[in-house]
Amino acid sequence: MRICGSSWMAGLSILLATVLVMPEPTQGQTASYLDFDGFTRELRSIVNSSNLASMESLGTTLEGREVWMVTVGNTSGSPLADRPGVLVVGNLEGDHLVGSHMAMEAVRYLVDHAQDETVQAALTGHVFYFFPRLNPDGAEAMFAPVKSDRKTNARPYDDDNDGRTDEDGPEDLNGDGFVTVMRVADPFGAYMVDPANERLLKRADPTKGETGGYKVYWEGTDDDGDGFINEDGPGGVDMNRNFQHAYPYWQADAGLHMVSEVETRALMDFTVSHRNISAILTFGETDNLVTPPDSRGGLAGPNLPDLPIFADASNADVSTVGVFGAGGGGGRGGFGGRGGRGGGGGIYLRGAQLGSDNDPSSGTRPSTTVATQDLVYFTAISDAYKRITGIDNVPVHRTPEGAFFQYGYFQYGVPSFSTLGWGLPAASDAEGQQGPLADSPEEPGARPGAVDPGGVRVRTPPGGGMPAGGRAGLSNQVAGARGGSGAGGGSGSDAQILQGLEAAGINAFTDWTVFQHPELGEVEIGGFIPYATTNPPAEQLPELGEKHGEFLVELAGMLPRVRIADTEVTSHGGGIFTVSVEVENTGFLPTALNHGTRSRSVGPTFVQIQVDDDAILSGADKTASIGVLAGSGTREKVTWVIQGREGAQLEIKLHSQKSGRDTATVTLR
Amino acid sequence: MRIFRLLAATSLAALALAAYPVAQLGTVQAQQNQGSDPPHTLEIAWDRWLDHADMGERMRLMARTWPKFLTLSSMGDSYEGRELWLMTINNPDTGPELSKAGMFIEANVHGNEIQGGEICLYTIWYLMENYERNPEIKRLVDERVFYIAPTVNPDGRDYFLHGAGSGARTGHMPVDQDGDGAFDEDGPDDLNGNGMIEQIRKYVPGEGTHRISRLDPRLMEAVPPGEKGDWILLGSEGVDNDGDGRVNEDGPGSYDGNRNYGADWQPNYIQGGAMDYPFQLPESRATQDFLAAHPNIAGNQSYHNSGGMILRPPGSAWYGDFPASDIRAYDEIGENGERILPWYNYIIIWQGLYTVHGGSIDWTSDGHGIIAFSNELWTGNKYFQSPLLAEQQQDDRTPISQGRSRYFFDEFLEFGENYPQWTPFDHPEYGEVEMSGTGKLTGRINPRFMSMEAFHRNMAFTLYHADEMPLMTLGDTKVESLGGGMYKVWVDITNPKVIPSITARGMNHGVVRPDLLTVSGDVEVVSAGWVPNKHRPGKTQLIDQKELDRIMIRSGHPGKTTKTIEYLVRGSGNMEVTYSSVKGGTVSTTVRVR
Repeated sequence: MRICGSSWMAGLSILLATVLVMPEPTQGQTASYLDFDGFTRELRSIVNSSNLASMESLGTTLEGREVWMVTVGNTSGSPLADRPGVLVVGNLEGDHLVGSHMAMEAVRYLVDHAQDETVQAALTGHVFYFFPRLNPDGAEAMFAPVKSDRKTNARPYDDDNDGRTDEDGPEDLNGDGFVTVMRVADPFGAYMVDPANERLLKRADPTKGETGGYKVYWEGTDDDGDGFINEDGPGGVDMNRNFQHAYPYWQADAGLHMVSEVETRALMDFTVSHRNISAILTFGETDNLVTPPDSRGGLAGPNLPDLPIFADASNADVSTVGVFGAGGGGGRGGFGGRGGRGGGGGIYLRGAQLGSDNDPSSGTRPSTTVATQDLVYFTAISDAYKRITGIDNVPVHRTPEGAFFQYGYFQYGVPSFSTLGWGLPAASDAEGQQGPLADSPEEPGARPGAVDPGGVRVRTPPGGGMPAGGRAGLSNQVAGARGGSGAGGGSGSDAQILQGLEAAGINAFTDWTVFQHPELGEVEIGGFIPYATTNPPAEQLPELGEKHGEFLVELAGMLPRVRIADTEVTSHGGGIFTVSVEVENTGFLPTALNHGTRSRSVGPTFVQIQVDDDAILSGADKTASIGVLAGSGTREKVTWVIQGREGAQLEIKLHSQKSGRDTATVTLR
Repeated sequence: MRIFRLLAATSLAALALAAYPVAQLGTVQAQQNQGSDPPHTLEIAWDRWLDHADMGERMRLMARTWPKFLTLSSMGDSYEGRELWLMTINNPDTGPELSKAGMFIEANVHGNEIQGGEICLYTIWYLMENYERNPEIKRLVDERVFYIAPTVNPDGRDYFLHGAGSGARTGHMPVDQDGDGAFDEDGPDDLNGNGMIEQIRKYVPGEGTHRISRLDPRLMEAVPPGEKGDWILLGSEGVDNDGDGRVNEDGPGSYDGNRNYGADWQPNYIQGGAMDYPFQLPESRATQDFLAAHPNIAGNQSYHNSGGMILRPPGSAWYGDFPASDIRAYDEIGENGERILPWYNYIIIWQGLYTVHGGSIDWTSDGHGIIAFSNELWTGNKYFQSPLLAEQQQDDRTPISQGRSRYFFDEFLEFGENYPQWTPFDHPEYGEVEMSGTGKLTGRINPRFMSMEAFHRNMAFTLYHADEMPLMTLGDTKVESLGGGMYKVWVDITNPKVIPSITARGMNHGVVRPDLLTVSGDVEVVSAGWVPNKHRPGKTQLIDQKELDRIMIRSGHPGKTTKTIEYLVRGSGNMEVTYSSVKGGTVSTTVRVR
């Protein structure tokens, strides 16, 4: 299905429908979160209002919703696919609705401000691709009568691998419309009331004389009678844990394998077939724009509420039920001493030569940190982001394992970003509390990506690769509690998170109320309100959207842009000519990031002189590669000595996969 | 998946061919000890290399001949639209296919590694021809289901067999190798049309870098430093198809379909040829879709070439070796394989071959809990079959020494088919030159006269592998009254095969449904436990689960092991105990509790 801006009749009818159904818009913008139908109508009306935008579906989800892709650019001029492109993706996590709205509002901004000089230049020299709602089935959960922070799509998945699928989901026991958590007084419990905020819990530390007294569960019942509560709910796969960099192997919410879902595959197929994409902006629950990679190229450690981690931990032992005797445990470590036949399996045919493929310690490892040479660009773009949006403090921040924006840099090789799309008042306002993104004091020097959301160091294989050990748990959050203690660690920052949200006037917590649980007896139900920590109040959407539109235009202006800046022809007589061409990068970013080159994913920039190869006597090859050109007007000169006819005209083509195209015509004289 | 049913209109010829021998099948000839073998149902010659169309024709013929057992389908289409043929061998009388352990045999992911395809066809044919004749074959077919995909890269196979054979390892999804925005626009060209992409040499007396080797006139060797030769080498056959001044810089494909699977997948700059994401290729994706729909598959063979190897995963050392219990299964099968396949070595991929990220048998073992091997079929050692030949191979003075033997064997065994002499050619750029090459059917591919042995031995190994897939049985039962309406019930559970019902990798990754031990009938289970030693009374190992009439066994049942479960039950009457294993089958027994 393809809907173009020019089909005004369809547009008119949709516009009418929108007027009837839509909530009251503010200055033509949407100040409420929209379900799929409402979102689609609104998106379509924006697209149809302009001949700069078009919209098509690149996939249909399991529940039958379209994966929309919107293209924005002025189609007069060079073909869109030849221009440097910006890819924008929203709603990678199902519960991150704000991402959808930021992407849609950015489309609106580009269309509405198309006459502004900078926007006009961006729409003429560049192209923008938007996947505003990548996970529409997951997003729809926000509009269900009972809300839970569901990040996954609708793929049925046997999370606890017990032969039954999606058999034990949450219940809203106290009828408040939210799935929160239950705390139960229990002498075996590992958690205690947090002295920093008595509404919260923390993990008791026996070495400090602290005694637990509470167990924490998800709100619900043990539907399948296996002794666990809500260990296998509806869905699914989290889009932002389904991509190829640092993929969290064998975790239920990451899918059976990388790019396993209709939605993620649609995005990947589009991305790899649009090699002109030279920057990626995603809206997701990880930030690398407010806090860019540090001097070692790593991201800040995670900052997530502990209560859900504690609740997840109540199900950590589920994967050990039914593990008997030998034959289960971990593998043999190392390869060093193969004890003859029958001991280690397989023979040494040629022996392990040091430095060869056969040496376990050798081989190029995938990068896991941003290259030093690229950091300056991440910082510059972060500065622009903060300047334009005013966001300098984010409420939560998630470890990006299998996140799309990480693929964008580490494998696709372009500047690639993730932002929550909203922020809180600066942390310094909050009585000297450390900002949520500051390194946790309990984990000095904790390396990003090496610390799981529970604050526990984990062994991260190269490239965040495939762990050889046990099944990692039911979700990323359970990973923090691996080992089956039934008690998640947590980072101890709930008090800070809650304080930050409340300082911004956000009601993010529902207080404990007593409930008679059919299996556990008296429990208290309360905790963080679903969606409240990851999405701003809806009235902020229009203004946030406009700022993100502005930022996108600024980002496009920073992309590399090559042109033929000058040509020169010298005649030597006798039909011999020297032809030279100067290629300039007028953008800010280089034609390839350092890692773009290392990852061999950014295609070459080259000039090609349109003469027979035989006519080139000296100098450059007919097709001459240009090295990486730094931005801000950096030039490179290419020279050929050719044989030709006096007065003949010939073309020189400049071709760059990610920095545009150009052509010059010279006359031999 | 498309099922090709018996279509009267298209199968008349085959029926005519098959009708007479089929009628003979009923006459128990096989039981008689005659001086001559009974006739085959299908007289098939095994001395040809079949392209995709011929392969499909042969499979259709077999499916029509043995319709009770054989179902021909396609796992999906290749990039260029060829079927990924899949033959299912199942005896419906012994249960539906998903109720039996499945053996998945595939081949030819590298387009130029063709003969695994013929082994696949031979395996189908052999099982069917011998089903009535050989009780062991009958048992194997009755107990198991076989899924046989003779080529998972039919585009590459046809490119290899129809063309000059160079650059045929890849599949045929176009890739822009030179980053110019055009795809596969400048591949090799067979200028003289002799079916080979050859090397070019030019005679430049006294100015060259090479000379003709004394070992064989077809061999060129570099001259020592300080000397001049009479020849220079000018690269391989080809022209600049796209006019960019470069020759053969962007040929077909250029990736490796066997790096496009989902375990330990790494991007191109770490693992060349991996493509952009796992299962991006239609062929690997169709294979994965098929595997996901067939959780009963417990064994996998992926035929490759060459080297004479029985390879097991892992493909890379980064993530450590398999758990010890899995290695025991690999070792037993792999070491017997070395006895079944002379000259073959049982090897870990990364250790003995090279590092492979994202290979298919890593995926089947890691992502599906399958015990998987990959045989590298041909090895040149097969020419040196006696101690005399092996000795002469090491002796420079003999015509079968290193470097020369290929010409000797080609001349005396295949009558000069594979190594043509240098022939003159008028090259568009280089003028008068000479070209010579190597026939594509040599090097990695066994000479045809050795096919039967290669096919049969590899099939035999793979059938042995299939026979060692888990096969759950319930054995002795015992009931003891404890008084007060309480009973102790013992049931022996056995897996007599080498491969456990769930591999440790499969359990750790949560990719195999746990085995389920269920109870129904007239009794109520009060407690259950594993008996440490049934011959030595003592307390059991308590099974701490909530649903004792549905005990979950994530760790599965080890190979070659009997375990005894003890139930404490209340009540008397019939008690049906069922052991259900996705990969080891489902078995039940009824115990009279009284």
